[in-house]
Amino acid sequence: MRKTWIAAVACALSLGLAACGGSAPSGAADDAPAGGVGPDGTIKIGSLHPLSGAAAADGQQMDNGARLAVEAINEAGGIKSLGGAKLELLSADTQGKPEVGQSEAQRLVQEGAVGLVGTYQSAVTANVSAVAERNRVPLVIDVSTADSILQQGYQYTFRVQPSSTVLGAKGAQYLNEVATAGGAPVRSVAILHEQGPFGSAIRDSFTAEAERLGIAVGPVIAYDAASVPDLTTQMTQVKAAGVDVLVVTGYYRDGVLAAQAVQTVQPGVAAVYGVANGAFDLPQFPAEVGQAGEGFFDANYHADMTKPETQELARRFQERFGDPIRTGAVLAYDAVRVIAHGLETAGSADPEKVRDAIAGAELDTLLASGGPIAFDERGENKNAIPILMQVQGGAVRQVHPGEFAEAEPIYPAQPELATR
Amino acid sequence: MSAPADATAAASAAARSDALPRQPWNRPLAVVAVLTVLLVPLPLVLPGAQEAVAVRVLIFALLSIGWNVMSGFGGMFSFGHAAYFGLGAYTTAWLLVERGVSPWIGMAAGMVIAAAFAVVIGFLALRYRLRGAYFALATFAFAEMLRLWAIGSDFVNRAEGYHVPLLPESSWWYLQFEPGSPNYFWIALALTVAALVVSILFLRSRAGQFTLAARDDAEAAASLGIPVMRYKLTTMALAGAISSVAGAFYVQYYLFVDPDLAFGSSQSIQAILPAVIGGVGTIWGPVIGAAVLGPLSDVTATILRNPPPFLEFLQGRGGLDVILYGLLLIVIIRLLPKGIYGALQERWSRR
Amino acid sequence: MSRPAEDVAAPDDAAATPTTAGAARVPWARATAVVGVLVVAVALAYLQSGSGIVVSQAVVTGILVGGVYGLVAMGLTLIFGVLDIVNFAHGAFLALALFGTYWLVTALGLHPLVALAGNIVAMFVLGALVQRGVLAGAMDRPLENQLLITLGLAMIIENGLLLFFGADPRSVALPGDRGVAILGAVADLSRILAFAGALVLAGALFLLLQRTRLGTAIRAVAASSTGAELVGIDTRRIYVLTFAIGTACAGAAGTLLAPLVTIEPTTGAQFTIIAFVVVVLGGMGNVVGALVSGLVIGLAEQLGGLLLPGQSPLLAVFIVFVLVLFLRPQGLFGRSG
Repeated sequence: MRKTWIAAVACALSLGLAACGGSAPSGAADDAPAGGVGPDGTIKIGSLHPLSGAAAADGQQMDNGARLAVEAINEAGGIKSLGGAKLELLSADTQGKPEVGQSEAQRLVQEGAVGLVGTYQSAVTANVSAVAERNRVPLVIDVSTADSILQQGYQYTFRVQPSSTVLGAKGAQYLNEVATAGGAPVRSVAILHEQGPFGSAIRDSFTAEAERLGIAVGPVIAYDAASVPDLTTQMTQVKAAGVDVLVVTGYYRDGVLAAQAVQTVQPGVAAVYGVANGAFDLPQFPAEVGQAGEGFFDANYHADMTKPETQELARRFQERFGDPIRTGAVLAYDAVRVIAHGLETAGSADPEKVRDAIAGAELDTLLASGGPIAFDERGENKNAIPILMQVQGGAVRQVHPGEFAEAEPIYPAQPELATR
Repeated sequence: MSAPADATAAASAAARSDALPRQPWNRPLAVVAVLTVLLVPLPLVLPGAQEAVAVRVLIFALLSIGWNVMSGFGGMFSFGHAAYFGLGAYTTAWLLVERGVSPWIGMAAGMVIAAAFAVVIGFLALRYRLRGAYFALATFAFAEMLRLWAIGSDFVNRAEGYHVPLLPESSWWYLQFEPGSPNYFWIALALTVAALVVSILFLRSRAGQFTLAARDDAEAAASLGIPVMRYKLTTMALAGAISSVAGAFYVQYYLFVDPDLAFGSSQSIQAILPAVIGGVGTIWGPVIGAAVLGPLSDVTATILRNPPPFLEFLQGRGGLDVILYGLLLIVIIRLLPKGIYGALQERWSRR
Repeated sequence: MSRPAEDVAAPDDAAATPTTAGAARVPWARATAVVGVLVVAVALAYLQSGSGIVVSQAVVTGILVGGVYGLVAMGLTLIFGVLDIVNFAHGAFLALALFGTYWLVTALGLHPLVALAGNIVAMFVLGALVQRGVLAGAMDRPLENQLLITLGLAMIIENGLLLFFGADPRSVALPGDRGVAILGAVADLSRILAFAGALVLAGALFLLLQRTRLGTAIRAVAASSTGAELVGIDTRRIYVLTFAIGTACAGAAGTLLAPLVTIEPTTGAQFTIIAFVVVVLGGMGNVVGALVSGLVIGLAEQLGGLLLPGQSPLLAVFIVFVLVLFLRPQGLFGRSG
């Protein structure tokens, strides 16, 4: 009899103590108002990214980008409308898991964050945006491709990156423009895409616009990005179809596989054209695949490297973290600036007022964009556009539209046979 | 609680007559009652983020109790328990989003579907005499097939999954409350307590005794006239139903589900860990294990968020907290191979 | 939880396996059945895709990729056959070997094939240490305990790599890599080399197990550890050696794989589940079985992608897996119970 009672008490104690022993808020009582200027005069902004797990490389970069933004704003005098109050970044590791993202978001809100940025993975973002909505704290999404999150009617979620609809449609337009200007108009494209919601959404929006422009789309080949070991079979299907251009949508690892498959199979296309491709516009892509990636296009959201502010940021990032900056980090940087702008305009650290200020905000951006950052009623960035990049001479250059171009697009850009 | 001699003796006694020897089952039930009373005021004293951890602990305890019924008491190691969790989650989500049906009904429907699926898998696996690691990997294969089917199927919105629509105000019928509301904890507590009571009653019942007998020596049990297949399937159905409730509640709490969250291998592993840490084949094992593991990753993350000066070079590089978590897993299971409660049981029975 | 008796070799086994004592006999009926199914699958894939070139490419790629799967699984099946340990850290060891190769090639400037020898030795030593230190005490524990320990190990190794090397993807290129034409299809030289490596490794393991004293001792322990002790074999030493050999196999697989994959701390994880499917399908403990079932899985994946467009090819893999298990619960080449 005694042992079962001991067991019972042990259970209760362990459940209770363990729950208490978790992440303790720094001094905030649970009925403290959300947000506000903290007791030490700083305003807290939460950064939720995957600092470990499969997406750690991007997550860490994005967290660093957010950090640089906070430091830059503080150096420039903090939030002037609040008496020069300084910002403080609270970093959280979502580990790429929605449950962790959710509890970390709760924790950050509890610790007084007036705004959140994140989160990179769509499943995690879905959870976090629900937390943001229910706690009435604005979330500014830096990177997350799922459009469904912004179709839920949430008032507290905003997104800086362009939607899949815009990415696909603009991608098709740019292809048409570049090919026509290169004297070889595109008549047919094949699409190779990862089969998840990201790849499928891009496929749909690209196809709709391409067909509107009179380009035939097919074959459309899907693959499982998580498990695919090799893309030569798929590439052979593309070769057998004899299309003008191959469009590729996917993540980094499979982008590399695609480049290797193109080199091995030689599908005879005028160009390999990525749309929101996670590999083709990254600096390490030409380094990893060498000649195999030469001439590859990518229509993707990208930091505008022709802007001096962006170049300055890239320089500071390289100096501070020893790593060339990638677009995700620039988006995180801008996302923090959006929140800071909201604080500045609202003149208050009340998250609800900050949210209203963000909704009506207009501010310049370090990204290549069709205008200032401004949000529509769903929280989408109205002026977000992709731009076209191409791998030339082992480096990624912006090539189209003209006002962002660092170099001329080379079309046709027949991928060359070369030994690695 | 389950020495082979006892089980077979009890089973053979039951096979001969309807009267079972008197078992001290009232004590565990009393303990459950006491625990419940002790835990009810918990959400009122815990701040919001800790309450979220407590709810998470309960969800995984529930999932693991289901796993334990089948793998601990039934002896059939399931490596694809995410299948039942996911079926509960998707049934609830689909009925709610596509048809506006209350998640309580969805939960019940999920239990039925998960139990049916468990019976099908169990029947196939047992008929073709899969055992041990072969059986385990077959269950995993079924969970993966569900996941891949869901990813490719328009019927369940493919890989996009479902968002639970936010309601303007709290609703018990639709199981949605203010964030941080104690109702979530109380409902999860009630569900977990119900699962514990069900598993205690199951063990006490004839079916449960027969299942234990079959686990420990299937041939002997069969030779006593026990229909092993029937009771194994019953056990699997029960395990599936219990775990599906965890999935159904998960959707209502986290407001989002997709194929990877529902059917992914990490959920299958989540079903196993608490039971192993707490003690496989014991009533309290999954609960203790969940209580230990639930906040563990939070605690390691907190400790390492502000690392001591000699480890500062690691700041900004993620992963240290997961290393600590893995280290603790190994240490716990090496020191207490029968789990926490299993080790306690051993000490007491030695006296 | 009872451990089924049939996982340990039955002395009156009629099926041929390299880990049991006795001459190897080729199971003709089973081989014909497998080949027959493959022929049907290829024919269906041809009908579905309408192009012979595509199907022959799928077959060639399937065989080459399958060889890699077999390569990864070989060490795992040996470990299971002898130690009865389900090693969930196998993928993490693979990732460790990948990074080891990366470091040997970039920091020391070695040719990848030279790195092969270094990796094998390093992983052998590591495996021995891990077995002695961590796993020896968990040898006769139930499946779930081993799961936890090896899972914990996997977390430690993967995140240790993350901490040490950082999260950025790395790559290793095989000098002189190019496309090679085979049977109307094309393949990368590095992939062909990996396939050749798989064959060589399988052959080496087979010879080790069948022709050396150590191999005989290993097979004896796999058949019956008490019996082996009775004839004077030091079973603990055999356990350590076998685990070390298994890990060394993962090391070899890592080097051969390095030019084919993007090297990240989580790269190994994508192979773990496939490796388990291959091991179970081939019959746990059977090295040649692992190679053959690796080929079957590779082909199932490629052909499945053609037969079920729009679905993940893994679906075809798991369907094949489950069907084979129903037809032959101990795997293609496993010992019958």
